[in-house]
Amino acid sequence: MKNLQVDALVVGGGIAGMQSALDLADQGFHVALVEKEASIGGKMISLSKVFPTLDCCSCITTPKMSAVAHHENITLLTYCEVVALEQNGASYRAQINKKPRYVNEESCTGCRLCEYACPLDLPSAFDMGLGAQRVIRVPFSTAVPQKAVLDIDNCILCGKCENVCPVADCIDFTQTAVTFEIHADAIVLATGFELTPTDAKAEYGGGKLRNVVDALTVERFLAPTGPYGHVLRPSDGKEPESIAYVQCAGSRDISLGVAYCSRICCMYAIKQAMLLSGALPLADITIYYMDIRTFGKGYEQFYQNARAMGIEFVRGKVARIHEDAAQNPVVRVEQIDDGSVVEREHDMVVLSVGMLPSYNPGLIYNVPVAADDGFVAQSAANISPCLTYQPGIFVAGTAAGPMDIVDSIVMAGAAAAETAAYLEERRAVGMAGNGRSPQTTSVKEVSYA
Amino acid sequence: MAVETVKCDFKILILATISGGYAGADSVGQLHTDYPANVYVLPVVCPAMFPEDFYLRTFERGIDAILVMYSGTDCPYKGGAERTAVIINHVYPLMETRGIDTRRLRLAAICTVCTKPFLNEVIQMNHVLQEIGPVRQKRNVPVPV
Amino acid sequence: MPDKEPLPAEEIRIGVYTCQCGGNISDVVGCARVVKAAGELGNVVVSRTNLSLCSDAGQALIEADIKEKGVNRVVIGACAPSLHEQTFRGTVARAGLNPYFYNHVGIREQASWVHHDNPDGATAKAIRLMAAGVAKARLLEPLEPIRLKAQKHALVIGGGVAGLRAALDIARRGIKVTLIEKSPFLGGHMAQLEQVFPTGDGARDLLKALIQRVVSHANITLYTQAELVGVQGVVGDFTVQICQQSRGISDDRVTAVNVVAPANLPDEFNYGLTTRSVLYQPYPGCYPATPAIDWAHYEDGCLELNGEPLHLQNKPKTFDLAVGAVVVATGFRPYEPPIGEYGYGVLPEVITLPAFIRLLALAGEDERLEFNGRAVKNIAFVHCVGSRQLDGLNEPQPDGQVNDYCSRVCCTATLQATNELHQRYPAINVFDVYEDIRTYGRGHELYYNLASENRVRFLRFHDDELPEVLAAPAGEEHPALVWVTDYLTWGQSLELPVDLVVLAVGMMPNPVDDIIKLLKINAGSDRFLAEVHPKLRPVETAVPGVLLAGTAQGPMNIQESCAAASAAAAKVAVLLGQGYVELEPFVAIVNPALCDGSGECIKECCYEDAISMQPVMVNGTEKVTAVVCAANCAGCGVCVGACPNRAIDLQGWTLKQYEAMVDALAAEDLFALELA
Ligand SMILES: Cc1cc2nc3c(=O)[nH]c(=O)nc-3n(C[C@H](O)[C@H](O)[C@H](O)COP(=O)(O)OP(=O)(O)OC[C@H]3O[C@@H](n4cnc5c(N)ncnc54)[C@H](O)[C@@H]3O)c2cc1C
Ligand SMILES: Cc1cc2nc3c(=O)[nH]c(=O)nc-3n(C[C@H](O)[C@H](O)[C@H](O)COP(=O)(O)OP(=O)(O)OC[C@H]3O[C@@H](n4cnc5c(N)ncnc54)[C@H](O)[C@@H]3O)c2cc1C
Ligand code: SF4
Ligand code: SF4
Ligand code: SF4
Repeated sequence: MKNLQVDALVVGGGIAGMQSALDLADQGFHVALVEKEASIGGKMISLSKVFPTLDCCSCITTPKMSAVAHHENITLLTYCEVVALEQNGASYRAQINKKPRYVNEESCTGCRLCEYACPLDLPSAFDMGLGAQRVIRVPFSTAVPQKAVLDIDNCILCGKCENVCPVADCIDFTQTAVTFEIHADAIVLATGFELTPTDAKAEYGGGKLRNVVDALTVERFLAPTGPYGHVLRPSDGKEPESIAYVQCAGSRDISLGVAYCSRICCMYAIKQAMLLSGALPLADITIYYMDIRTFGKGYEQFYQNARAMGIEFVRGKVARIHEDAAQNPVVRVEQIDDGSVVEREHDMVVLSVGMLPSYNPGLIYNVPVAADDGFVAQSAANISPCLTYQPGIFVAGTAAGPMDIVDSIVMAGAAAAETAAYLEERRAVGMAGNGRSPQTTSVKEVSYA
Repeated sequence: MAVETVKCDFKILILATISGGYAGADSVGQLHTDYPANVYVLPVVCPAMFPEDFYLRTFERGIDAILVMYSGTDCPYKGGAERTAVIINHVYPLMETRGIDTRRLRLAAICTVCTKPFLNEVIQMNHVLQEIGPVRQKRNVPVPV
Repeated sequence: MPDKEPLPAEEIRIGVYTCQCGGNISDVVGCARVVKAAGELGNVVVSRTNLSLCSDAGQALIEADIKEKGVNRVVIGACAPSLHEQTFRGTVARAGLNPYFYNHVGIREQASWVHHDNPDGATAKAIRLMAAGVAKARLLEPLEPIRLKAQKHALVIGGGVAGLRAALDIARRGIKVTLIEKSPFLGGHMAQLEQVFPTGDGARDLLKALIQRVVSHANITLYTQAELVGVQGVVGDFTVQICQQSRGISDDRVTAVNVVAPANLPDEFNYGLTTRSVLYQPYPGCYPATPAIDWAHYEDGCLELNGEPLHLQNKPKTFDLAVGAVVVATGFRPYEPPIGEYGYGVLPEVITLPAFIRLLALAGEDERLEFNGRAVKNIAFVHCVGSRQLDGLNEPQPDGQVNDYCSRVCCTATLQATNELHQRYPAINVFDVYEDIRTYGRGHELYYNLASENRVRFLRFHDDELPEVLAAPAGEEHPALVWVTDYLTWGQSLELPVDLVVLAVGMMPNPVDDIIKLLKINAGSDRFLAEVHPKLRPVETAVPGVLLAGTAQGPMNIQESCAAASAAAAKVAVLLGQGYVELEPFVAIVNPALCDGSGECIKECCYEDAISMQPVMVNGTEKVTAVVCAANCAGCGVCVGACPNRAIDLQGWTLKQYEAMVDALAAEDLFALELA
């Protein structure tokens, strides 16, 4: 790989990173987008339909992915990570490690013949372990780039894929990681979030109860591209007749060290409840909550619609979940309204898991995270929400704390504006920038009539 | 939302402004509200572009009713709404002289979030058609499905 | 264009693509049947369906057909054209085809999503719509976008934090900005706040730093007391008319002015808790520092200069500006409860949260908090006043609608106020009456936790059992009573004797009907300005070149207002940065051969200089016909309906195309029509 000189390096190819890259590239800046996975899209690409409009999520995400891939000002680098960063005057020199795909990215046509020929089925990571995936595969049907990737750790080197691949020398078991450099004047961190692990809370079964799933799994159940095409409970494949949501499962919970609200789980739970009641018209759906936080534009109306649809909202904190002999989860709830403690049995329980920081840029980027939540610290949170404590390094999307897609996209636009202005101002002072915006002319008067 | 069952052998054409009625029809879709499938919406910039004879020709071809869903006072184009109303008013007498029931043509202001008015118009027009029947006798040709 | 000599017969080869939209379409519409039927239509050489055409793979499929199968017209049946028309235009263009050789048919919002119970009907309808799409596709013409010079100059309306932030970020990109603010001072509602969540910074300190950057930026021109009164033109080249009121007195004379009239006007900065003079400044350190005359209350003789009566007149000045884009940042106003709602306007002890914030600020270093001359010992905050209202349970607003949205900032703002109260007056008992606590944002939950530690007594009501505020019987120690059915104590009915009730009022948009009309933008059913799509285009309005920033669009806190403002600035930079904008080529076009020069079109066209009569050469002879100026043509097509000769048409939306579509929809036998 050749070294690359760009105006801005965007780290992370979720919705926030993609939007920042597009907004910068549309202004004429050259952008390199570095994504650690084999495809861009982030968490959003695995969602089903998205609140508050209930659009098909893929229909919002895939065009952006496609636009990123096709933009003349964007160089897309997947399966890459920044392993070291050096400050070079006011610019940055990033050392990139590109992991081996064992497939030639240039020549692969994405025909998937290798995938069909591969004899090994593994649990699908994209489908939260529900479906199967092959050792060599295009990551998922709408992946960008549409290029195969081989999971060498699980490969038995049978060579079947190599035999069917129509492109000469495309599959290469000897490929190794490559390193190269990207020189960039500014960086946008859009490294996103992780979910609370399902085994985080022993009281909720510690991840051992089969019919207690997390909300991302339900997204895959509901997605048209999902593993079953149906909503089936994991233990016995039965259609659940009674489903419960446990809110704040991993958020607002000091015992887990997560004091903050994850901001999206109320809305996604309501959304999923509405979609489930469409998919399973006979199912009873109950949401156990402390506060319903439907604060965004159109969100409260969304909540009221769900109430009108007959979804049951119960004010209460779920203290614990256990399983009966038929593997039905039983929740123990302290009901706030009358103070009683009840146990209720459901066919399936969904944990409305929260958002955790996915990446700490402290070491490589020297960008501090906030002590209380671990997300990238914002140096001027009110007026300039995208500034970090490192000049020339900006933050967008859930890397700066929980937020939904709308807020991530808006913040990504803001990060692009900050970055663009920073780049422009540096140019104006003849590259002698010190990372701070130059003070312009003297104070001038307002014009009065 | 109650769904009216109607015989779908009538055809209703809706000429809907991109900024108003067409977006309104899209909103109805986003709410997943059912309505009869005999309704065909064509997007138009502003229905003022259709001269009188366009409507007559459309009825002659066998469309049983036309709903013009313009943007009314929200029309983003100057003079568009007024012009549309003038043309439609010219069409009515022409319909009468040709023996076409004037109830087959209606002008309604529909905006992007007018989901209820949209449904109302569609349901009302279906009622009218049940009462007055098709614009002309139809041959018995199966729907190409 | 109609009746033009056909080009040397290029064979029309149409590719028809029916998207399944990941099940959104195919769950109802029989896509395979659509594919089959469409494949049998004339000129159709390829007919396919795909799980998701907008995906990279789906787009690649279309590109390949264009390149390899010679497809030269593309018809796509998918979601609403507003979502993906542009996506597929790009696909078609990438494959080397004119992007306007493409027609988008909506079969999701207008078929699968509205005929769930009638899959056959939905399928038949989709087939018809696709057939109409194919009929139009046969008559498509290659078009080129219209390229217009763009003014590298933007107008920002509103000088609150959102407007200031937007102006700064646009200016930093080398684009000139004119910022107009209706009031005499910058800062908007943020200037009336003290410590702001989530950082605890002083609101006016933050504002001052921002204003300093704005006013010192060479690209920004500011007008206070200024409003938008006229708009002409289109994206890239709007002419906007601004009207500015007189300030009254210039800086050099202001110190010599003496106000004769008493300072007895309610001071809006303090929500009427204090009074001010007719020549006023909202707060020390405001910008501009020059005091302004309150013209609504100005009377001749109320001012003196060096002991002589001073005669002033408001002489509004109107001027034009040429700008390429407009950012609307007109902000919010706090909900004003009607007389009687929770005792507001009836009991003097009931005030709103914004007013309470001023009360705390005015109390300064006082040892105890006083209201109406009495020490405050017990205080109750009530959440969601004017927000989260339900039809049937709450009184509707004057426009007949309830405020059914959450105002997003009032929960955290209330808790922040209780925390400040506790810190300054630890002896005061604080009751917080709420339905849900929505401390959703980064750092907000800490305010809730702190309030709990501070022993704020929380009480929780249900939305069908709203609390009540009543006057206490005479002689009681505390003048007001708050009745709450509290579900934190299992539904007990509690009576709180208090000295002050603070209503956590929500946000309403500033009334901007005039701006909505002038710019032809829309408000949503919540009355806030509407974006095109919350995810695809969250800061854009349906009018190209008109963007939204801050609380004019919906409730937001400062951080969110600034993020939205910066995002709008990024869009402005994309739009104007190149110095030109490209417009869709959907404008009127005249066929000179058919035009008889009667000028019916000009009579009906409402756009200045869009059509004119000019001599042109037709078949070697000169003749006077209508000629369209593309830059001034709005593309409405009013002229088309007016022309008796069908000599003028709308590019991309021709009458012939509509007739062909009608024929396809009307035909009793779709395929017989094809053969005809
Ligand atoms: C179950 C569930 C349902 C949801 N439903 C909705 C909904 O209906 N509506 C809605 O608005 N929101 C919803 N959300 C929230 C939504 O998913 C997020 O707001 C959004 O995906 C955040 O995007 P992002 O780009 O910030 O982060 P991510 O999607 O996490 O993207 C981050 C990207 O960065 C990459 N990355 C991370 N670290 C590195 C590194 N060091 N180097 C290179 N690349 C890196 C990751 O691989 C990833 O691709 C839901 C979330 C969940 C969990
Ligand atoms: C009680 C309360 C407490 C709050 N506390 C906090 C807090 O602690 N932290 C926080 O982050 N947020 C807080 N907020 C929210 C914060 O006040 C808003 O997010 C912010 O002020 C919004 O700024 P804006 O620029 O969008 O609107 P505004 O501040 O309303 O500014 C709009 C400006 O536009 C001008 N304008 C209006 N119409 C026109 C016109 N036609 N032509 C020209 N100019 C016009 C107005 O005069 C005004 O100056 C609080 C809000 C309230 C109500
Ligand atoms: S078979 Fe070869 S070309 Fe096809 S997807 Fe696999 S690696 Fe790529
Ligand atoms: S959004 Fe709702 S479920 Fe999620 S942490 Fe916040 S309050 Fe709990
Ligand atoms: S933020 Fe809190 S007080 Fe304000 S409307 Fe929403 S829930 Fe009610």
